[in-house]
Amino acid sequence: MDKKLAITNSIRKLRFFADEMTQLELAERAGVSRQTIVALEAGKYTPSLELAFRIARVFGVGIADVFACGQEEKEP
Amino acid sequence: MSYQSKRTIVSMLAGIALAIAYIFYALGGGAPDPNDLRAWATAMLVFIGIGVAALVVIQIIFHILFAVGTAVRRRDCDDKQVERILSATMSEDEMDRLITLQSTHAGYICAGIGLPAALVMLALGASAVAALHTALGAFAAGSLVEGIVSIRLYEGGVRRG
Repeated sequence: MDKKLAITNSIRKLRFFADEMTQLELAERAGVSRQTIVALEAGKYTPSLELAFRIARVFGVGIADVFACGQEEKEP
Repeated sequence: MSYQSKRTIVSMLAGIALAIAYIFYALGGGAPDPNDLRAWATAMLVFIGIGVAALVVIQIIFHILFAVGTAVRRRDCDDKQVERILSATMSEDEMDRLITLQSTHAGYICAGIGLPAALVMLALGASAVAALHTALGAFAAGSLVEGIVSIRLYEGGVRRG
């Protein structure tokens, strides 16, 4: 059976440590809509590689510090 | 519910209202003769034109109401801050494009069934007007499916691949 990787992220935590950066500010700095940041934090959207790098750059960390590959989940 | 979902629901409601208006027209006394293909085609074109114009007007009204609603909800913020919020909410990005791609795909599949369905109806001896309405109905259903899929992806999440 085809399995997909579960991509998790630490955006909420990174925002907290970035002086409680708002979703609006992160959206503006990453060049996406606030809705996309909301979906990312809720794990409802997996970003493109480009957006992943842009978000990591906003926080001044590496991409692996923002996104991680979780346990494999079964394809629905 | 997100801004995009609300916008899609408004568009869907406008489309449903237009479809209901057309059904009333088609089943009412003022409808063209069942065999007058030209009159039916003209009526459909008129309704499509009205639909496009109504959709543009409704979207403009929705955007104005949404902006006013946001400004009222964020009355503690200054104008510049409200403008920032609206800009960050209404801007289109990669997630919107991915959802549009997937929902349009679903809509096209549904609309695409209309042509073979119409041909099957003609082959089975149905009138040309009935076949025309089958194709039109498939496009309307496709538009509805596109909206439903779009809302589902916005609210439930979207994945690549």
